[in-house]
Amino acid sequence: MDGHPSRSPSNVDQLKGEEMRVSRKGSALFVFGVASLLIATACSSNNGGSSSTPTPGAVTKGGTYRSATSSFGFVGDFDPVGEYTAVGFAYYQMLLRTLLNYTGEAGAAGLVPHPDLATDLGTVSSDGLTYTYHLKDNIKFGPPINREITSSDIKYAFERIDSSSLVAQYAFYYDGVIKGMAPHNGPPKNISGIDTPDSKTIVFHLTTPTSDFPARLSMAATAPVPQEVAKCFTKPAGGYGNDIVSSGPYMIQGADQMDPSSCSTIKPMSGYDPTSKLILVRNPNWVQSTDDLRKAYVDGLNMSIDSNVDDIFNKISSGSLDGSFYEIPPPTVLQKYSTDSSLKPYEHIDPQNTTYYISMNLLVPPFDDIHVRKAVNWIIDKAGIQKAWGGPATGTIAGHVMPPSMAGLGADYNPYGTPNNAGDLSKAEAEMKQSKYDPGHTGKCTDSVCNGVILLNRNEPPWTDAEAGIVADLAKIGINVKARELESGAAYQTIDTVKSGAGVGISMNPRWGADYGDPNTFAQPLFSSQSLIPVGTSNYAMVGMTKEKAQKFGVTYPSGGVPSADAQINACLPKTGQERQTCFQGVDKYLMEDVVPWVPMFWANQVTITSPTVTNWAFDQFTGFIALQNVAVSNNASP
Amino acid sequence: MRQDQSIRTDQLDVGAAAPAPDGQSAIGKTPWQLFWRRFKKDKFALAGGILIIVLIFIAIFAPLIAKFVGHGPNELFDNATNEFGLPVGPSSRFWFGADRSGRDVFVRTIYGARTSLAVAFLATGIATLIGVTLGLLAGYVAGSVDTVISRLIDVVLSLPLLLFALGISAACSVAKNGCLHGLVQPGLRLVVFIIALFTWPYLARIVRGQVLSLREREFIEASHSMGAGEWRIMFADILPNLAAPIIVYTTLIIPSNILFEAALSFLGVGIPQTTPSWGRMLSDASNSQMFTYAWWMMLFPGIFLLLTTLAFNLLGDGLRDALDPRSRR
Repeated sequence: MDGHPSRSPSNVDQLKGEEMRVSRKGSALFVFGVASLLIATACSSNNGGSSSTPTPGAVTKGGTYRSATSSFGFVGDFDPVGEYTAVGFAYYQMLLRTLLNYTGEAGAAGLVPHPDLATDLGTVSSDGLTYTYHLKDNIKFGPPINREITSSDIKYAFERIDSSSLVAQYAFYYDGVIKGMAPHNGPPKNISGIDTPDSKTIVFHLTTPTSDFPARLSMAATAPVPQEVAKCFTKPAGGYGNDIVSSGPYMIQGADQMDPSSCSTIKPMSGYDPTSKLILVRNPNWVQSTDDLRKAYVDGLNMSIDSNVDDIFNKISSGSLDGSFYEIPPPTVLQKYSTDSSLKPYEHIDPQNTTYYISMNLLVPPFDDIHVRKAVNWIIDKAGIQKAWGGPATGTIAGHVMPPSMAGLGADYNPYGTPNNAGDLSKAEAEMKQSKYDPGHTGKCTDSVCNGVILLNRNEPPWTDAEAGIVADLAKIGINVKARELESGAAYQTIDTVKSGAGVGISMNPRWGADYGDPNTFAQPLFSSQSLIPVGTSNYAMVGMTKEKAQKFGVTYPSGGVPSADAQINACLPKTGQERQTCFQGVDKYLMEDVVPWVPMFWANQVTITSPTVTNWAFDQFTGFIALQNVAVSNNASP
Repeated sequence: MRQDQSIRTDQLDVGAAAPAPDGQSAIGKTPWQLFWRRFKKDKFALAGGILIIVLIFIAIFAPLIAKFVGHGPNELFDNATNEFGLPVGPSSRFWFGADRSGRDVFVRTIYGARTSLAVAFLATGIATLIGVTLGLLAGYVAGSVDTVISRLIDVVLSLPLLLFALGISAACSVAKNGCLHGLVQPGLRLVVFIIALFTWPYLARIVRGQVLSLREREFIEASHSMGAGEWRIMFADILPNLAAPIIVYTTLIIPSNILFEAALSFLGVGIPQTTPSWGRMLSDASNSQMFTYAWWMMLFPGIFLLLTTLAFNLLGDGLRDALDPRSRR
């Protein structure tokens, strides 16, 4: 299996995903829906994630993957119940095992769930409402717990999801889906819809057939949690992140020193400090024969915090680090590794499943007019944006909302395609002429609402580097924006609060990564009226806003109304297989042509730079990052 | 701060009273003639003044210069960056090279003078106005007014300046209409507001100190006894005597305000990316250590920033020496 997707055309065609940094909302976690599962199982017969090596050299066990990151960027303090970042999931692939999981390889095969703790993919009842799983034998928790993992440890993880004080961030995948699951105050309590008839069997009773349910059992919040430790961390949220008990091949350094005899004796494990380091070492209780998904070549991981991104790449170049993790290499580094043939093997370009986009607020003039939104789609120079990010290595220009791997709609569908993707003034003007904000049919917005429109951006490169081009493009059709640059988290908070978001006409700061391979992860959270909540929405464009809701939220509802995509999305939800994919392709097209909430910019790649010490490169399509569980190094370093 | 004696224009007689060195009979000179005679001997200060005038002309005529070059400050040139988005260096087309977005660094540097000078003059002007007024009131009215103003000065001076600036910018740059009912608009106006907010206390303190000593002088008593009102004494008798320290101090504040603006822009606060600013350009150059490749992105705005602050400092020093000959370095 070719682990280097950039050399595997079929993978590149199927997956044009992208890098995901620390987005609060868009964790780039990929899972395949059942539909794709059926198709793709065939091509994953020889799994394992070991791949062609960039340099000759035997793949041996030992050594440590030494890396650095500018910040962990965790949004749930590393507690698996609340951690909703792709980088967090990349570490969990070393620490935690779930009922189902992935092979840690690139491409479509890396999105197919495989049995991990479970003996098989589970049994579904004919009505699609009951899923039964059996656990493998001889799988123990790491030190200091050291006991066999039972089905009630998994059930306890689900119980934690519903305890509001623990702030589970993707509880919506389980609440209302599994019988009896709903958020409540207070410590975790029993869930009626999950049975554990014996210590090795777990049965889920669903309220409604959910075809992508197995994929949801691969997410880290469902990994077994030993109650004897976790009961000490019922609130505030995140405490368990300092004392995660391992079920995977690695554990946090110092886990064996932790004393679980009582809550007061539990101190944070020494290997994790959210401000400086994460050190993982081998879990002595992990047995290779029980784990088909992880090679666990390295003896450990040494991830340190280095806020100077350039320094990280300098250290990789000099060999004191083995490779990068999630940071986008600066353009100078990209040029160096892309043009020097002796360095090229150490540059790994892997498509992810994330769309970078410009979101237009349907409530805010002039973007309440579809012709204006279409004109913006025509005018934006996407090639220029791609350059700001560092050129084609960093991503593929996006022609529509969902990355091709989601619903299978590829690059051939591009309703606003322009020559060289540089934008088309005449088409933009033709569209603008039909707008009510251009009564004189000049091709420019002449209404006063087009002056001083707020453009929200992040205050960090490469976003700031792309800003000038977007501002200039918008000015060409008479939209004169005032750019506001905020720190990434503040920028998200501004638009995920409906009221403050109403002050922003157009925002280029967000990006969205699929939680798993099902196309609905690119539909419901982003465009359904259900996801319109006063604070914390991810429907930044306000698609499906109604007059009543607008009144309730205290925002102005445009006289022309706001389009909704609810009917289109809801029609797809019961569907499975190819029918589902085709249906969501229709949603994507409907969004692009009849709603037009976005200007999709590009589907980015994760570019990882390694040093020659990395003898086996592996990319985990599920997390969208280096597969730490499957890489091998030759550095003999100890964690 | 030095304990300067203020200059009372009608008493300033140092030059006039001294016998002329060449033996000619002494001619009565106005204080400004005396000032100019001293000032023009200071070649550094003169150079600084000339440089500032040149910079002001550059700022005023920036659009003309840009027209001559043929590049706008926010015009993007696709071929000014390579396929990796890295900019081209100085050439006959781009005299100072290009930046990451493919814009002309020369034109942006020229336009940057506008931002720097505008912010410096505006913010310093506002700070001077507030500082002098409050300083006068505190020093002259004294009593509880003095207490209130002096404590206010203490409070403002003890605020962590940069943190506070970042906080205000964050709070005021989100809402479309900014803060304080639109008074503090995001962008240039916000930066001016922040700088003025943190600069006026210095001036107010100095003015207050001067007024405290001036109000005990005989000519004020004389004014009083002739029945002059409080406002008249404050603004007609005392204020003119403060001209020298105000001019000197204001000139010295300007360069620090230019640097403050640059620092705020460097931190990505306030001034949007599309407004050319030296601080912002330096920040762009240091992002991703771009200067290791595109040294021109850092060098040229850096030189202009250096020259501008240097010029104002030289001028300020020269003014101080010329206006206040009794001061000792």
